[in-house]
Amino acid sequence: MLALTIANLKMMARNRQTTFWALFFPLIMVAVFGLFDFNSFASSNVAVLDLADNAASRQVAESLSEAGLIQLDDPPTSLEAGRKAVEEGDLDFLVAIPAGFGAGTIDGEEPSGNPAAGQVDGAALVTLVTGGESEERNQFVANVLRRGIDTVTQGKPPEERPDQLITERIETCSAPYFDVVLLGLVGMGIMSHAIISIAVHISNYRNLSILKRMLVTPLAIWKFFAAEVIAQLALAVIQAAVILGVGVFVFRAELVGSVIHMLPIIILGSLVFLNIGFIVSAWANTPAAASGMGNVVSLPMMFFAGTFFSTSALPWLLPYVADALPLAPMITALRDIGLHGANIWEVWQQLAWLAGWLVATSVVAVRVFRFS
Amino acid sequence: MSKAIRVEGLVKRYGDFAAVDDVSFDVSEGEVFGILGPNGAGKTTTLEIIEGLQRPTSGQVTVLGKDILKEPRPIKARIGVQLQSSAYFSYLNLREILNLLGSFYPRRLPPDELLALVGLADRANSRINQLSIGQSQRFTVAASLVNDPELVILDEPTTGLDPQARHNLWDLISEIHARNVTVVLTSHYMEEAELLCQRLAIMDHGRIVAIDTPGNLISRIDTTYTVKLQTDRPLSDGQCHALKKGGSLQTLAVDPLIQPTSANSYILRLDRNPESLNQALDGIVRSGISLKHLEIQPATLEDVFLELTGNELRD
Repeated sequence: MLALTIANLKMMARNRQTTFWALFFPLIMVAVFGLFDFNSFASSNVAVLDLADNAASRQVAESLSEAGLIQLDDPPTSLEAGRKAVEEGDLDFLVAIPAGFGAGTIDGEEPSGNPAAGQVDGAALVTLVTGGESEERNQFVANVLRRGIDTVTQGKPPEERPDQLITERIETCSAPYFDVVLLGLVGMGIMSHAIISIAVHISNYRNLSILKRMLVTPLAIWKFFAAEVIAQLALAVIQAAVILGVGVFVFRAELVGSVIHMLPIIILGSLVFLNIGFIVSAWANTPAAASGMGNVVSLPMMFFAGTFFSTSALPWLLPYVADALPLAPMITALRDIGLHGANIWEVWQQLAWLAGWLVATSVVAVRVFRFS
Repeated sequence: MSKAIRVEGLVKRYGDFAAVDDVSFDVSEGEVFGILGPNGAGKTTTLEIIEGLQRPTSGQVTVLGKDILKEPRPIKARIGVQLQSSAYFSYLNLREILNLLGSFYPRRLPPDELLALVGLADRANSRINQLSIGQSQRFTVAASLVNDPELVILDEPTTGLDPQARHNLWDLISEIHARNVTVVLTSHYMEEAELLCQRLAIMDHGRIVAIDTPGNLISRIDTTYTVKLQTDRPLSDGQCHALKKGGSLQTLAVDPLIQPTSANSYILRLDRNPESLNQALDGIVRSGISLKHLEIQPATLEDVFLELTGNELRD
């Protein structure tokens, strides 16, 4: 079996196309996401905590929308809740407009409610809470907000208009988009390669009667498949290492978690996808058909299961379907470990879900597999 | 002499269709045994059951003294198998493939010795797709010898080869035989079976229709000579009649008696009557047939097959 495994690795190394799909395709994606700064493009969401609730405050809120920022319909109910939302990455910006804001500026409205933010010389200060991800974007939002406040308070002479904005920066625990995608790409790369390469491989072996040729030797056939699987697992680990390596060292992704804890997830996920590959190979009559069917299985999974965007962005029941796919728990677990420093036992739900998939796909694979 | 293979009452059904229908035969140790028959006769299925690749519907198969169903692995360790149209790993060279295959067996021959045996010593570092068809066929035979087997089973080893490559392979099979290895091969080439095999089984529709030495099989049939003739223009009814009426023409299972093969070509099969050859030639001359080509051959296994099964052997 050792001889078989070594032979398999040798064949893999000599089959340049396999290597290309295993490594370069995910790396191209890494490069694409690494080179473009998606954080500056990403439409930012803003919540306005409007304690003043007067014409002046509404005008400020209006100015944010005009600048293309998306306002949440149900803003946090307190400054504290808002800060927490920013910290967890659910919210990009929080604008808190204090109760005393705009007093005497427009229509001479009287201040109402309790002052929530600081006051200087009787004028209420607006607080902008930002995350720490993109300095450019923080500046942009702060400028929009300043202009909005200026418009409202322009009735007063400049010397009576002190800077009415306090900015407050919070270290978020949400990772930059690139880091999130990087771990998605690890899952995607392993998934698509495992499914397609094993499906093509086995159907090719079947077409060439290699499987039959193995059966006429005294080799226990499970050893043949075990060697195949071990070689594929080795490749999956190399894939993960290369993708993460390029992401971290070339594109400066920051991983806080332990790579060692990712290993069981990578292995478990790979096994599930190899099983799916075996199942595909049983249905496909030619290697070309196997490749096509492998793509049919892996491409939708790649987009649905949260490689590039959160599954919660999907409509209707689809988030539940997407989360049930084997790639989703794999990527979620990788992200929890890589981005939030979780331990392997903290992602037990994902592990359990993958283990369930492993059992199910094994049963089907054994049932449908054919040698000729 | 002890038996390398003993097959008794072998049946393999796929649904209603019997691919192998009550087949029994023995192969002695050290013998070259051939199974002849057209495509679909059940040759490959029979071999695959002997090799342990398929389970029979019923019947008993003993290989090297052991029941293939009960002890497949020890048998597989001692036999060598060349499958019909089996290829090997594309990304390994010949020596690596033989090393890999050898690693599955308790006893193995060195790859370079095997490659020298099949005349591929200088191609040890080549890949399978760099070989000619003849070379890759010889390589599959080398691969079947990797465990220094006592019994080698070759399924249509020469199909698709050009005449020279086929002769090379015949030499190789003779060499294997000379090493005192029992050889079982299937073929649909008659001359090959006649040349290589000590005994033959002729299979058709899943049954063995005859089993004997090539010489005995030939002497058993009624046909003695085959006369092939080609004429300038199609034979008239009268001329056909003259050939038939000559009394020298034997009625075979196949009808029409005189079979047009290519344009204006005909085959007469002559019976055991000592006069038949003279009478046939006489008939040709008397009826004024203008010949372009005339060929007279003694009966071959081809005729044996035709007489026994009513089928042409090659498709």
